[in-house]
Amino acid sequence: MRRRLSAALAIAVCTLSGAAAYQHTRSGGEGWREIAWPFPRDGWPAGRAFHCDVKACGEEVELYVRPKIGFCNCDSGVADDDEVDRVADLDLMSDRFVPLEPGVVTQIADMHGRLRAYDLAMSDGSRHAAVGIAVSHRCDLLVAVAQGNADAPAVQRAALAFLGTGDMARWMMSAMNGG
Amino acid sequence: MRGTCYRCAQPAQTGCEVLGVDSYFCKFLASLLGIIFIAYGGSASAQQQVIGAPPEASNMKLVGYNDLQARSAYQPTIHHQGDRWIAYIGHHGGTDDIPDPVNPMTGKGEPNGTSIVDVTDPAHPKYLHHIPGQEGKYESGGAQMVRICDGKTLPKGDPNAVYMLRAVGSEGHEIWNVADPANPVLVTHLGEGLKDTHKNFWECDTGIAYLVSGAPDWRTRRMTQVYDLSDPAHPVKIRDFGLPGQEPGSTGAVPTELHGMISTGPSGNRIYFGYGTNKGGFLQIVDRDKLLNGPKEPTPENLRFPEVSRMPMSAFNGAHTTFPMKDMPIAEFAKDKDGKTRDIVMIVDEAILNECGEPRQMVWFADVTTETRPMMISSYTVPEASGNFCERGGRFGSHSSNESMAPVYYKKMAFIAFFNAGVRALDIRDPYHPREVGYFIPSITAATDKRCVPADGKDRCKVAIQTNNVETDDRGYIYIVDRANTGLHILQLTGPARAVAGLP
Repeated sequence: MRRRLSAALAIAVCTLSGAAAYQHTRSGGEGWREIAWPFPRDGWPAGRAFHCDVKACGEEVELYVRPKIGFCNCDSGVADDDEVDRVADLDLMSDRFVPLEPGVVTQIADMHGRLRAYDLAMSDGSRHAAVGIAVSHRCDLLVAVAQGNADAPAVQRAALAFLGTGDMARWMMSAMNGG
Repeated sequence: MRGTCYRCAQPAQTGCEVLGVDSYFCKFLASLLGIIFIAYGGSASAQQQVIGAPPEASNMKLVGYNDLQARSAYQPTIHHQGDRWIAYIGHHGGTDDIPDPVNPMTGKGEPNGTSIVDVTDPAHPKYLHHIPGQEGKYESGGAQMVRICDGKTLPKGDPNAVYMLRAVGSEGHEIWNVADPANPVLVTHLGEGLKDTHKNFWECDTGIAYLVSGAPDWRTRRMTQVYDLSDPAHPVKIRDFGLPGQEPGSTGAVPTELHGMISTGPSGNRIYFGYGTNKGGFLQIVDRDKLLNGPKEPTPENLRFPEVSRMPMSAFNGAHTTFPMKDMPIAEFAKDKDGKTRDIVMIVDEAILNECGEPRQMVWFADVTTETRPMMISSYTVPEASGNFCERGGRFGSHSSNESMAPVYYKKMAFIAFFNAGVRALDIRDPYHPREVGYFIPSITAATDKRCVPADGKDRCKVAIQTNNVETDDRGYIYIVDRANTGLHILQLTGPARAVAGLP
């Protein structure tokens, strides 16, 4: 009985602290809420995942963002679109992605890099629009990928607006600085 | 010589503050800490290194030393050249503080390139020449990789020449005639507009070279360009090679980039490719004849054609070195009716992050006897607690092994460069149970560069040895070089470790 009570208490504490963290994020981006990282463990630690509802983003959009420490050319940074293809975590969702057009230079949280839009062939046969983003700080990368049923420009707008919020910018810089 | 000094709350603790250059305080502090270090025995259980402290060693000892003009070092290659022994050492680019170290022989600052050192008398190595490399710092410059072939061994080489093949930053590859190692002469340059270069391999008896390059139209920084360099003055391109998904025009996920390869030549007809650095690596076994003579257009089908098999590693590890040891007799299996000998590939991961900021990079042994079903059979790492290596500063983990197949050590001992844990000597006679039999961690010097990690928005720096690469010669000397600018240390085995190699 005591063991059950302890377990229940532990679950309650975890749930409350998790809910507090999610709430904190929501306050920085209307319509976005943090969700559990949905991918199996790979070479990098899990990042943070977010969901945007139809009301706020027009269509449902999901965004996955994480640092990849030590994974960037220290001098040239994110040099070309091939690098975005390689590093931007699109393969977490599907190995089959095709760029829609050449990428563009972007800046996220004072970090420079590139952004590129893709057509993503999902395993269930559906097609999603995706936007891969890779920016660098010294020898480290920060990558983000957003995907959804909306067209690529809409996914891109929603993702960039959310990544541009103060809360996200602070978290990204902290994550890149060993925080 | 750099004289920057660091003040720490305690020798083994974090939070070092940069002091002035060559201050009396630095010298006093170094001496004091050195005395304390010696008083406590200088064992491998000590933490941060201090200038003046002795090296840490077991069954290995220092024979000779050269500072390599305080240049960050990658690959040493030792060549028996007439009656001399010459070490050719490839360098990374310079540092933020010293982009172009001064070459005392010319009095000029020169971008790091290739050091040429006469090691005939290993106790007194003599620096002969520095060939400048590509401008650029760290991995963006220098001339990291170096291989040597005698002209008399190459099918169409000048018999009086000795050829050095080196990777030059991202600019391409060069071949030099180093018959007079003090006065090298450029023979030719290969590659234009490459994204990167790295760990090449050159078959001296055929002249076939496997150049790690980043062809501009490929989707990866590093893939293979195969050349016929049997006549080094007239290189002939054979083909580009990589993994399906890396070739020009492909879409979708891009496989892990190449690190390097080792060929067993026409007789073995296999090439062992290592992909990855510290993540998602794998070993690829390739049929050499199919690679050289099969269809060459880089289509997914043609890229798959020469592949015998592929062994994925954990997402936590990559493959820097893939060192084959075929037909190894395994004592434990001696009475078995089948499988008495095994084909083994030793795979060495590369650690890239300072202060254990990544999963442990280490050494793996794969049994590839049944080539289509290779299997990991054992592993080796330095016990972290034996030296508190995660707190010492810099990288801790493996980087590379010796690649000499000279009888003195081949299939008996392997030497592993382990960054701040120095070089480790392994008894690999039973590759199912590799065993450490010695180690050597050089002392740091005033030239040893700092290594930093971000902490609370600032850099926290420490100074530690960063043994990057290791090679052996036919005489049994072991050559280790330092990524943090400490130089070249020439070592020999002592005590029981000599018996493992059958040395007197």
